Amino acid sequence: MTTNIQVNPITAEVVRNAINAYAEEMATALCKSAYNMMIYEVRDFCCGLIDIDGRMISQNQGGLPIFLADLGVAVKDGIERYGLDGFHPGDVIIMNHGGVCGQHLNNVVIYAPCFHDGKVVAFAASRAHWVDIGGMRVGFGSVQTTEIYQEGIQFRSLKIYEAGKRNDTLWQIITDNLRFPDAALGDLRAQMASAQLGARRFAELVKRYGTETVSSCIETIWDRTDREVRSFVAKIPDGTYEAQSYLDNDGRNLDLKILIKVKVIIDGERMVIDFSEMNDQVPGPLNSGYSGGLAAARIAFKNVTQPQAPVNEGCFRALEIILPEGKLLNAKHPAALGLYSIPLPTVIDTILKALAPALPDRIPAAHKGDMGGCSISGFRPDGQRFLLMNIFGGGWGGRPQEDGESASVSICQGDVRNAPVELQEIQYPFLIEKFTLRQDSGGAGQHRGGLGVELTYRALQSASANVNCERTKDPPWGLNGGKPGAVNAATLIRADGSEEKLLKATGLPLEKDDRLIFLTAGGGGWGDPRKRDKKEIAEDVRTGMVSQAAATRDYA
Amino acid sequence: MSIVGIDIGGTFTDLVGYQNGAIITSKTSTVPADPTEGAANALRIARCDVATMTEMLHGSTIAINTVLERSGAKTALITTEGFRDVYFMGRGNRPDAFNLFFHRPRPLVPRELTFEVRERMNAAGEVLTAMETKTIATLGEQLAKLDIEAVAICFLHAYANPVHEQAAGEILRKKHSNLFVTLSHEILREFREYERTSTTALNAFVGPRVSRYLGKFESFARSANFAGKIAIMRSNGGTMSIEQARQEPVAMMESGPVAGMIGAGYLAKFLGIEQAIGFDMGGTTAKCTLITNGIAPIEEGYVIGDAFTGQPMQLPVVDIIEVGAGGGSVAWVDDGGGLHVGPVSAGADPGPACYGRGGENPVITDANLVLGRLNGNRFLGGGMSLDKSLSEKAIDAKVGNKLGFNTMTAALGIATIADNAMSLAVRAVSVNRGIDPRDTTMIAFGGAGPLHAVSIAREISIPRVIIPKLPGNFSALGMLMANWRQDFVRTLVGELKRIQLTDAKRAFDDLRQSGKDALARDGHTDGKFEFAADLRYRGQEHTIAIPVEKPEDLSSDISGTQQKFNAQHDRRYGHAAPDQSIEIVNLRLVVTIARMQDVIGAWLSAPWQPEEVAPEQRRAVVFDDPAKPLDARIVWRPGLAAGTEIVGPAVIEEPNSTTWLPPGDRAVIDPSGHIVITLAEHN
Repeated sequence: MTTNIQVNPITAEVVRNAINAYAEEMATALCKSAYNMMIYEVRDFCCGLIDIDGRMISQNQGGLPIFLADLGVAVKDGIERYGLDGFHPGDVIIMNHGGVCGQHLNNVVIYAPCFHDGKVVAFAASRAHWVDIGGMRVGFGSVQTTEIYQEGIQFRSLKIYEAGKRNDTLWQIITDNLRFPDAALGDLRAQMASAQLGARRFAELVKRYGTETVSSCIETIWDRTDREVRSFVAKIPDGTYEAQSYLDNDGRNLDLKILIKVKVIIDGERMVIDFSEMNDQVPGPLNSGYSGGLAAARIAFKNVTQPQAPVNEGCFRALEIILPEGKLLNAKHPAALGLYSIPLPTVIDTILKALAPALPDRIPAAHKGDMGGCSISGFRPDGQRFLLMNIFGGGWGGRPQEDGESASVSICQGDVRNAPVELQEIQYPFLIEKFTLRQDSGGAGQHRGGLGVELTYRALQSASANVNCERTKDPPWGLNGGKPGAVNAATLIRADGSEEKLLKATGLPLEKDDRLIFLTAGGGGWGDPRKRDKKEIAEDVRTGMVSQAAATRDYA
Repeated sequence: MSIVGIDIGGTFTDLVGYQNGAIITSKTSTVPADPTEGAANALRIARCDVATMTEMLHGSTIAINTVLERSGAKTALITTEGFRDVYFMGRGNRPDAFNLFFHRPRPLVPRELTFEVRERMNAAGEVLTAMETKTIATLGEQLAKLDIEAVAICFLHAYANPVHEQAAGEILRKKHSNLFVTLSHEILREFREYERTSTTALNAFVGPRVSRYLGKFESFARSANFAGKIAIMRSNGGTMSIEQARQEPVAMMESGPVAGMIGAGYLAKFLGIEQAIGFDMGGTTAKCTLITNGIAPIEEGYVIGDAFTGQPMQLPVVDIIEVGAGGGSVAWVDDGGGLHVGPVSAGADPGPACYGRGGENPVITDANLVLGRLNGNRFLGGGMSLDKSLSEKAIDAKVGNKLGFNTMTAALGIATIADNAMSLAVRAVSVNRGIDPRDTTMIAFGGAGPLHAVSIAREISIPRVIIPKLPGNFSALGMLMANWRQDFVRTLVGELKRIQLTDAKRAFDDLRQSGKDALARDGHTDGKFEFAADLRYRGQEHTIAIPVEKPEDLSSDISGTQQKFNAQHDRRYGHAAPDQSIEIVNLRLVVTIARMQDVIGAWLSAPWQPEEVAPEQRRAVVFDDPAKPLDARIVWRPGLAAGTEIVGPAVIEEPNSTTWLPPGDRAVIDPSGHIVITLAEHN
C-alpha cells in the first residue's frame, strides 16, 4: 500500500466507519446462522478484512480477544501458496494448519478474495471454533495428546470452492472425518456467506473511491491509531519490568508445574514484551504456536493502551514481541495444541502484574486465570450423540478504584455467555442443582476481588465429562497488599457418596446421579484489607458476598 | 369520531389529534414534576375539546426513565432454591472485551433482597420438588417488615408449568394488597432464566411508580371530562388498555420511537410500497427500520440502557436501529487529527451553537445552517431564529482551524460524515434481512429526517424518498394509528414432524385461550389471531419466526412450513440447508384489533388541499463543492398544490421540517400531499 496520496480527513472517516461496519456485518451474518454454541453463544470467532500483505484492515468487536489481529497469518500462507494471481472470484479457502496457525485445529479459518478490476485487493476472513474436528476426543482438547496428528484433521490453505465450484472430494473428507458433520458444514456455509459478504462490501468501497484512496485512508487510520498508542506508551516510565507465575501442569503430567515468566521493557514510545525466559514447550497439549504468544502480548497491550478503540494493524506497531521457538507459546510443529488457550489468561495477567509498578492506577489484581468451562458428551437412549458445552465466569481482581467484578468470563473471552440453565436442561440429560456466587472466594483487600461461582450438575444418565481445571494451586494474586482469591476447584461426587478431586480429565465416565461440582476462582484483592471502608465490609456481610467469619478473619 | 394522542417525552410534550375532521397539533415543554400539567397545557394550546373525544392515546417515557434513573420501587426477588444469583450473575459476558475496568449490568434488586424458595420443576414442567405454601406466607411477612413495595417472582421452568408461581402470587396478592406482585409467566412464557428474571424484575421495579402515574393521568383525563377509552402505547407497536399498563408497565418501555414507524407502515401500504425503510431523525439520534408490506419487524427482546451494561428486556419490540446522529450531534476532532460526528449531543440545552444559548460546539444543525440547507428565519415555523455567525464561529474554532479547512469545507465534511454514518445504519436494516436497498423506498420524517434523507438515499442507491405530510409531527401522528395488540409466547421445543400433534395442539389451544382471555378482559369480542413458530436448523441458536396456522403445520404436514423457513434463511443469510431437520423453539401468537375507523389513515390518504402560499425565494446552498454554492429555489410546502414538480437544487420548507433536494433530483407533490422524490440517477 502507498501513503503518498494526501488523504482528506472526511474521506478517511467515511472509510473508517465503513470498514468497521463491514466487519460487524460479517460477524452478524456468521453468528446468526452458525450451528454450534461455540460460535453463537460462546462467540468463539472473529471476522475481518485483510489486505494483500496479510495485514488487518478491520476486525469485529466483541468477539474473542485471543483472536486479536492474527487472521493475517492464515491468509498469508494462502497468498504464498497460490500467489495473488492464483485466486479467482468465487474461491473460498479453508485453513486450520497447526504449524501455521498455532491454535487448536477446531479454529477453522475460511476466507474469500475480494476483487476490483480483475485484481485481488483484499481478503475477507473469519475464524470460528468448529464443534468437532475429529481426533481423540469428542469436541476438542484431549489431555492425552502429544502431537497435533492426534488432535484432528488439518487443512492447509485448500480451496473448498474454486471459481465458484465446490471441491467435492474435500467436502467428502470433511463429512467423513468429523463427529458432527452437519454442524461443521453448517458453520462452513455460515463462514462462507460471511466472507463473501465482506468481500462484496469492500469491493463496493474500492469501486467508489479507488484502490489508492482506500489504501491511503487505511494507512492514515493505522498511522493515527499508532500515534495515539505511542503517545500513551511514552507516558509510562521507561524501565524493565518483570513478573512470573505458575500454571498447574501440562495436562498429561499433573505434577509438572509450568513457569510463566515475562519481561516488559518500556523504551520511550515502544513496548517490548519478552518471553525468552518462559517455560519450554511441554509434551502435553497446553502449547500454542507463535499466535498464542502474539495474542497474549497483544491483549495485554490493548488492555492498557486503547481498550475501547476498534482493532486494526496500527494498534500494535509500537509493540515488539521477543519469543524464541520452542517455548510454550511458540512450540515447534508438530506439538500438541489441543488446550492452547488455557495458559493465556495467566500469561496476560502476568504481563499486567509486571506493569503494575509502572501503571499503579491502571492495573487490577489477578483474575480467575482460566478459561472456565466444561463439556459433557454421551449418547441418548435413541443412539443420538450429544455434546453439552458451557463456559462460566469467575472473579476478577480488585481495582485501584473499586472492587472486582464477580462471575465474569476470562480476559481472553469477551462477549462469551454462559449457557442458560433452562436451555441446558431442555436439551441435555442433566439437572443443574445449583448456580450461585461462591461466598468468600474474592481476595480480601481495600478493594475486594470479585467472587467465583458454584455450579452443580447431576447426571440423569451415563455420560462422559471433560474437565480442564487450571490454577488450582497458585491462586489469583492480590496487588498492593491485597490478598489472593480462592483457587479453581472441581469435585466429582458419585451416587454412592464417594468424592474425587478433579484437575484435568478427558472422558471421565459419569453414571446416573453422579454430581460434578465446579467452584471457580475469585479475583485477588487490591490494597491492604485494613484500609477497606468499614461500610463496605458491613455491606459485604449483609449481602452475603463475605461470611461474618471471613470478614472477622480478613479485615480485623 | 375524534381522537387525541399525547406523547410525553423528556423535553417536549407532543399532541396530535383529529377533531371535527381536522388535524390539531401542539408542542409544549414537559413538566417533569407533574407531567399531567404539560398534558393539560398541550390540550389547551391545541384547543382540544376533550369532552368530545372518544379515545385518548398516551405514550410516556416514565417507565424507561425510571430504569435509567434507577428511581423505581424497593423491590424484592423470589427465585428457586440454588439459583439466587442468576439475576446478579447474568450471562457472565464482557462485551466491552478489552476494558480491564468493565462493568456488568447492575441488578435492580440487591442480593440481600433476593430470596430462595424450595421448589423445583424440570424442563418438561413436571414437579420435582413441591412448594410449601407456608414458606411463601412467611416470606410475605418478611417482605412487609422490610417495607418492600414490589416483588418479582421467577422460578426455574415456570414457562413450562407456572403452578408454583401462581400459588405464590395468589398468597402474596391476597395477604399484601399493597405489594406490587409480578410473576414471570404472566409477563413472558419463554425459557432463558436470566432474561426472564430481568424482564420480571424490570416490571416490578417500575410498577408502583408507573401505576401511580397512570392512575393520576386517568384522574386528570376524567377531570377534564374525558369519557372515552385511554390506550397506552407499547414497545411492540400496538396499544394496551390503561388497566393492563398499570399491571404490565414493562411493555411500554420503548414506546416512543415505534409510533412513527406505524405511520410509515400505513403510508407504505397506502402507496403500494413493498419494501420501505422508515427513517426518523430527531435532535439526538436517527432511527430506522425495514417495513415490509406495511409491517415493521419485531425483535424478541433488547437491552434497556447502554449496550454493555443495560438491563435485558425480553418482550417483543419493534426492531429499530438507532445511530447517535441527530441535529444536535457534536462534531469534534481527535488528538490524531481525525474528524468525527457524535455520539455526544448538545441536547436542548445549550443546544446547537446557532441557538445562541452558549453552545460552543458545532453540531449537525450548525453545519446545515452554514451550508444554506436550513433557513435560520423559518426554524420551528419561525418560532425561533438561528444565528448563522455563531455556527460559523463554532465550526471554525472546533473543526476548521484544527484541520486547516475553511468554514464551508468543514461544514460539508460534518454533513458528509453524518450522512455516511446514517447510511450504514440504513443499509444494515435492509441487508440484515436480505433486502437490497435498491429495491426499497425511504419514508423520512422527524424534524431533521427530510434534510438528510436524499443524501443518505443517494449514498446507498435507494431510488425514491417519500416525505409525508407533517413530517415533524409524524411520530405523534403514528400513535393515533396504532392497533390494540397483545403478544403471547409458549416455549415448545422439538424437531418439526417429530413433535406430537397433541403437544402442538395444546400449545395452539393454550395460546388461543390466552388471546381470548385478553380480549374479554378489555371488553373486546373479536380480534385477528396470527400464529408464528420460531424455527431454526437443528444445532443453530438464532431462530426465524415463520407464520403458521395450525398444529399440523408443525407436526403432520410440515412441507409448507419447511419451504417458508428455507426460503427465509436463504434470503437473510445467503444460504439454506433443505436437507437438514428443522427445530421449533417457541410458538407465538399476536392478537390485534384493527381500528374501526382509522381517521388518521383517512387523513393521510385524503386529497391534498394546499394552504397559504408563500412567495418563492432563492438562496445559495452548498451541494458537493464548498467553493461553489448553488443558486437554489426555496419553496414553502404548505402552499404547493398536488402535482407540483420541483427539480433540485431546491429547499422545501414547512413549519416543523425542511427537505433538501440536491441538483437533478425531482420532487412531486402527490395527490395526498406527500412529497415523492425520485433521485437523479434513477430518473
